[in-house]
Amino acid sequence: MMLAPGGVGWLLRHELRLGWFNMAGAKNAGGRRRPGNAALALAALGCIVMHVLGWFTVRQLAGVPGDDPRILLAISAVLIAATAFMLSSAIKACVLVLFERSDLDLLLSSPLPSRSIFTVRLLGVCASTAALYLFFLTPFAHAGLLQGQWRWLGIYPGVIAVAVLCSCIAMLLTLGLVRMLGARRTRVVAQIVGALAGALLVIASQLHALTSRQTQARIRDAVLELVQVDGAERNLLWLPARAMLGEPWPVLLLTALAGAMFLLTTWHTHRFFARGLQLAASSAVSTASSTVAQPRFGRSLFRTVVIKEWRLIVRDPQLLSQVLLQVLFLLPLFFLIFKRADVQVQAIGAGLALLCSSLTGALAWVALSAEDAPDLLLVSPASQRTVRRAKLAAAMMPVLGLVAVPLLWLIVRMPAAGLVGCFVVSGAVSGAGLVVFWCGRPGVRSNFKGRGKGGFVMNVLELFNSLAWGALGWFLSAAALAPLARMDVVAVACAAFLAIAVPGVAWMLRSRPL
Amino acid sequence: MDDLLPALRLAGLHKQFGRPAVDGLDLTVQRGEFYALLGPNGAGKTTTLRLVTGLLAPDAGSIEVLGIDMAAAPAAAKAKLAYLPDEPMLYGKLKPFEYLEFVAGLWGVTAKEAAPRARELLDWLDLSQHAHELTEGFSRGMKQKLALAGALIHDPELLILDEPLTGLDAAAARQVKDLLLAHVAKGGTVILTTHILEVAERLAHRIGIIRQGRLIAEGTLAELRQRTQGGSLEDMFLHLMAAP
Repeated sequence: MMLAPGGVGWLLRHELRLGWFNMAGAKNAGGRRRPGNAALALAALGCIVMHVLGWFTVRQLAGVPGDDPRILLAISAVLIAATAFMLSSAIKACVLVLFERSDLDLLLSSPLPSRSIFTVRLLGVCASTAALYLFFLTPFAHAGLLQGQWRWLGIYPGVIAVAVLCSCIAMLLTLGLVRMLGARRTRVVAQIVGALAGALLVIASQLHALTSRQTQARIRDAVLELVQVDGAERNLLWLPARAMLGEPWPVLLLTALAGAMFLLTTWHTHRFFARGLQLAASSAVSTASSTVAQPRFGRSLFRTVVIKEWRLIVRDPQLLSQVLLQVLFLLPLFFLIFKRADVQVQAIGAGLALLCSSLTGALAWVALSAEDAPDLLLVSPASQRTVRRAKLAAAMMPVLGLVAVPLLWLIVRMPAAGLVGCFVVSGAVSGAGLVVFWCGRPGVRSNFKGRGKGGFVMNVLELFNSLAWGALGWFLSAAALAPLARMDVVAVACAAFLAIAVPGVAWMLRSRPL
Repeated sequence: MDDLLPALRLAGLHKQFGRPAVDGLDLTVQRGEFYALLGPNGAGKTTTLRLVTGLLAPDAGSIEVLGIDMAAAPAAAKAKLAYLPDEPMLYGKLKPFEYLEFVAGLWGVTAKEAAPRARELLDWLDLSQHAHELTEGFSRGMKQKLALAGALIHDPELLILDEPLTGLDAAAARQVKDLLLAHVAKGGTVILTTHILEVAERLAHRIGIIRQGRLIAEGTLAELRQRTQGGSLEDMFLHLMAAP
């Protein structure tokens, strides 16, 4: 179909094409523009699996009326979770649209109306937000269609409407943040909020396991009471769920709400959209700091490198949030384990080992692999060995500092368990650091989340290091309290072998710098 | 005796990336000389500089920096030189003084020497008023000037620059040129590559023209003029490039 150049349709096609190319990964080394064949095959397989799952689910629910409160409750729960994720990914997409697309200057300097550009960008955000959920949920609609249950077709307008609402809220939120905080801070805040939203959802998903049986019973009773009230199915709270089940009026209402929100957002904020971009462009010059730093020359090479690495990490809130996010993801695990008082000491040993291994791996990658100016180090007469050791130390020291307080607490309360904790933490930190030291591949800081793609061996070794020291932490902490059973001794031996083997393998596979 | 040694001596230098990038290059630059290396895109200029600075290892040939063999004693050779590539090697999250602190640390410059020199360089390059800003917010010209300050913090005897004036405005380009001339006036040596022939014409004592990894012409401006029957450097350059 030929679309008139400069029109909304033409621009939207350009936007969707860019989105398709982006799915291949912006940093694709091969210069490939579309997702790889393996990824497409995996997606096709996933699509088939979801259709099979959808077929059986829809058949199972064939006799259940659409206004059954239990169904509405289940769909609402899925929608709430999906909405939180949608909002998070929409904020990230808005940040990309506002600050990171390099083609916006070109578009805004063209005679195209800024409203068209904004409309298309917002449509692009909506499409990217809805795509994943359509992929997973529309197979249920297709299965319903094939089985003659038309109501499941409501998934299409339902998902799209929720995605549009989330995208509009995310865009307004992002633009509002620009007004309040300025463009540069908005980028950081939006990325942190997006990351935290995902992490908090993981924690929320564990609430059932984290709460006591009495609390669970109380919640269950409250929900049952809510759904058993006469006419509860007519409650406005169920509107999105009923829309998803294809009820005409809820579908119409939700779609109208989304449409109105979209129109209002585009009509009233497109000027500010352009202004947001100007702010983004000018943010580069607004980075002055009020603190007066006293230059400190003449430090040793080791200290110079360590301080430089710490400065770079501390001044990159986005990177810092991504590193610390790992701690957040481990929290549900800690809560789960701490609930059982009988395994508390073991849990502390294992948890600290896992946490330290993961954090050290992340920081070591930042310091060692994601060097911003590798050529500067190479052209200098400084000993590369000293530089790399200093970088390793810069990664390990904050982690050891972070766990020093809980370890001291443990030593005071239970000296034997505390010493075991010190041992496993030191081992986990050293192992993780050495794996990156020997097997880390060069990368860029901005690609922190994708660092695993560049170093499969490093990732596997890091995982084994965490598991080995986690297991050692568990069993040795238990041994500090009572003698181990024979099988536990075998487990300790296996974990100890793995803990030694991991750095050994890393050393054998080490890449030699120039 | 040391003063008689050339600042840079390349002999039979070879580097291949599928096809030869540097092909048997022989080049000598004397101390206190301002040497400009010219050539079309892909001629091997940047590869030559990366070989000289130890960023690449040659397939064959030798590199001597002030009489020190780069292969035998790389750290000693690197201590004498500084390299400024076309893309400045900076850290966006560091402030100018912090960057200079780091570079001074890499070259082992003492606090007594580095502190006043850092202030002097930032003043000279008009960066003092931006001393408390992160470099990620700097313009291209400011970044290039800060990288130059980093290159000069240890007062190198041999300064190697790859397209140092690209993207600079007239005022910034003038500051950089003045700084380079001052470095040569103090007895230092400068080797630069540039596409701006006027810069080579006005600043360089000698000019080398490289094509397909080989030095096809070398000499002072007058010598090159004589060889190509007069005209501007641009005419000579185009004449040499067109020659079979």
